[in-house]
Amino acid sequence: MIVENTQTQMRKGILEYCILSIISKGETYASDIIADLKKARLLVVEGTLYPLLTRLKNNGLLSYNWVESTSGPPRKYYVLSPEGRAVLEQLDTTWAELSFAVQTALEGRNHINLTKKDI
Amino acid sequence: MNKTIIININGTVFHIEEDAYEVLKNYMTDVKRHFADAEDSLEITTDIENRIAEMFTEILAAEAKQVIVTADVTKVISQMGTVEDFETSAADPDNIYTAHQNFTGNRKLFRDPDDHLISGVCAGIGNYFDIDTVWVRLAFGLAFVLWGSGLLLYIILWIIVPKAVTRADKMAMKGEKLDLQGFKKNFEEELKTVQHSVRNAHTAARPFVYQFRDFISDFFHHLRLFIGGAGRLFLKFFGVVILLMCLGFIIASIVGFICLLVYGNDVYHVFPFSVLNYGYSNILYVGAFALVFIPLLAIALLTIRVIFNGNALGRSTAYTMLIIWVCALSLVVYYSAKITGQFRDEASFSQTINIKPTKNNVYHLTLNDVKYLTREDSLQMDINGKFNGRIILDDRRDNDMMPRNVSIDIERSDVKQVVLVESFSAKGAQYDSALKNAQNSIYNFSQRDSVLTFDRRLLLPKGSLWRDQQVELTLKVPYGVTLIIDEDLANMMRRGINLWDCKQQNHTPDAQTAPFIMTNDGLQCKVDTLSQAQAIIEPDAK
Repeated sequence: MIVENTQTQMRKGILEYCILSIISKGETYASDIIADLKKARLLVVEGTLYPLLTRLKNNGLLSYNWVESTSGPPRKYYVLSPEGRAVLEQLDTTWAELSFAVQTALEGRNHINLTKKDI
Repeated sequence: MNKTIIININGTVFHIEEDAYEVLKNYMTDVKRHFADAEDSLEITTDIENRIAEMFTEILAAEAKQVIVTADVTKVISQMGTVEDFETSAADPDNIYTAHQNFTGNRKLFRDPDDHLISGVCAGIGNYFDIDTVWVRLAFGLAFVLWGSGLLLYIILWIIVPKAVTRADKMAMKGEKLDLQGFKKNFEEELKTVQHSVRNAHTAARPFVYQFRDFISDFFHHLRLFIGGAGRLFLKFFGVVILLMCLGFIIASIVGFICLLVYGNDVYHVFPFSVLNYGYSNILYVGAFALVFIPLLAIALLTIRVIFNGNALGRSTAYTMLIIWVCALSLVVYYSAKITGQFRDEASFSQTINIKPTKNNVYHLTLNDVKYLTREDSLQMDINGKFNGRIILDDRRDNDMMPRNVSIDIERSDVKQVVLVESFSAKGAQYDSALKNAQNSIYNFSQRDSVLTFDRRLLLPKGSLWRDQQVELTLKVPYGVTLIIDEDLANMMRRGINLWDCKQQNHTPDAQTAPFIMTNDGLQCKVDTLSQAQAIIEPDAK
């Protein structure tokens, strides 16, 4: 249970960071986000994305424009709000720190594992 | 060949096969329920619907076809992810509070549509507590019979508890077995969910009003099913009962009718029939028979038609029956009015009989036990030959239908002479016929020494009609006269002459007679000394 909870928390934070990163590249459609996330193996099904997007939007990090589509109903294209951009910059810093911290913390252990395997 | 349905997803129209539609509908219901408690449930589900519409469009364009089949829906769902996927990926921890759909083995309270008698509330409860549905139904039935509370609870549960629509619901409904603690926790959660949905009645995706509307349509849907199923059985049983009752009454009326026609001449002097004029009686019997018989027949035929789907009553037959019935009704009304007319006027006359005095001023009032026979009757039954020296006793139950027509009153008189005033009265169409009716009636009274014998009833000569003939007897006695009244006369006495009270005062509750004495204040009970009590017994001993 504790493991699950930790995993969920970790993934949740990273997922939001990734979504913000993807959208920061420009106006993005939900299925494009999904495609990228699938490539990164972070998310498998689309249905999970919509609540997340809605929540980020409600927190003022995202906004969207309606764009007419040739295939089906009008699409929502998401863009980062200035606030979202500021948050993303903060997250970039945090991630760099975290990445460094994790890498440093794991270095010794990886070494031990490897050496054990080698023997 | 498959049936297709046209659906509209947020403005885009699709042709979809029926099976595929069922799958899609169940999926969307699951999704909507999953997000029902989220803040932006409408927005999220709309996004998902839009995306599904887009995927459909792409599929149709890619495969150059026009109809969506089950495979397409399955493909879209796998891409979008099922509700279980939403759960396990746990991408949005906010969804944890959507307690509707966590598959941790806890049971959820749903109405069971697969095992329902009415709406599946009982089956759902049975599933939830893992007890046999029969007991739940029994408990509800009992609660309903006792105070009707079962019905109220049932309707409330019907409205609040959701129906298990999808496979996921049904799985949740029949989850793993619960231990006691798990049950308690689960119940609290359930309660919270219910409270939550009641609190959010206005903002929730399914407002309470809609829930109620759904309940109403659901109610009639299940009522129809109930009538079609178990109710049908009750109805049939009810129908058989009605039919049997009708049949019984029909047979009774036919037998009665035939008896009246055959034996009518023998009973016309017995009370209810002696009201009818002889010439009218047969036609009245026919009318009355039709009046009773036709509605019974109609009820029986209607029952057959409605409950057993028989086509037992044609339109023309029904009209014929109605016409005959109306004719019978008017016949009966006409003759009833005619007979009633013969009660229009009233006449009365009185005659006085002097009672011979006795030595000690004591009179015994008794009822005549001997049956009164007319001269013709005597001859016919050969009374003198066969019953010589014997007494034919009057049968008390004889003709009890006849209204009481003799009453006895005792008054104080100022003269020494004891007299009996007989006042006859009767009704008739005019005064003279009323008077004639009164004169025709016969009343037998006799005196032997101190014993005054009264007949039980007024006699009407054979062949005469009942026209409310009555006789009021008034025994006028002076001060100091003792009357020893037989119990048998008790119910012929007018005005508070209470034999029972008097016997109680004399401490002789089982005695056949009660003594009274005429005082200045009228007739009073005579509380006896021992010697007088013996005097009462004496005449009985004779």
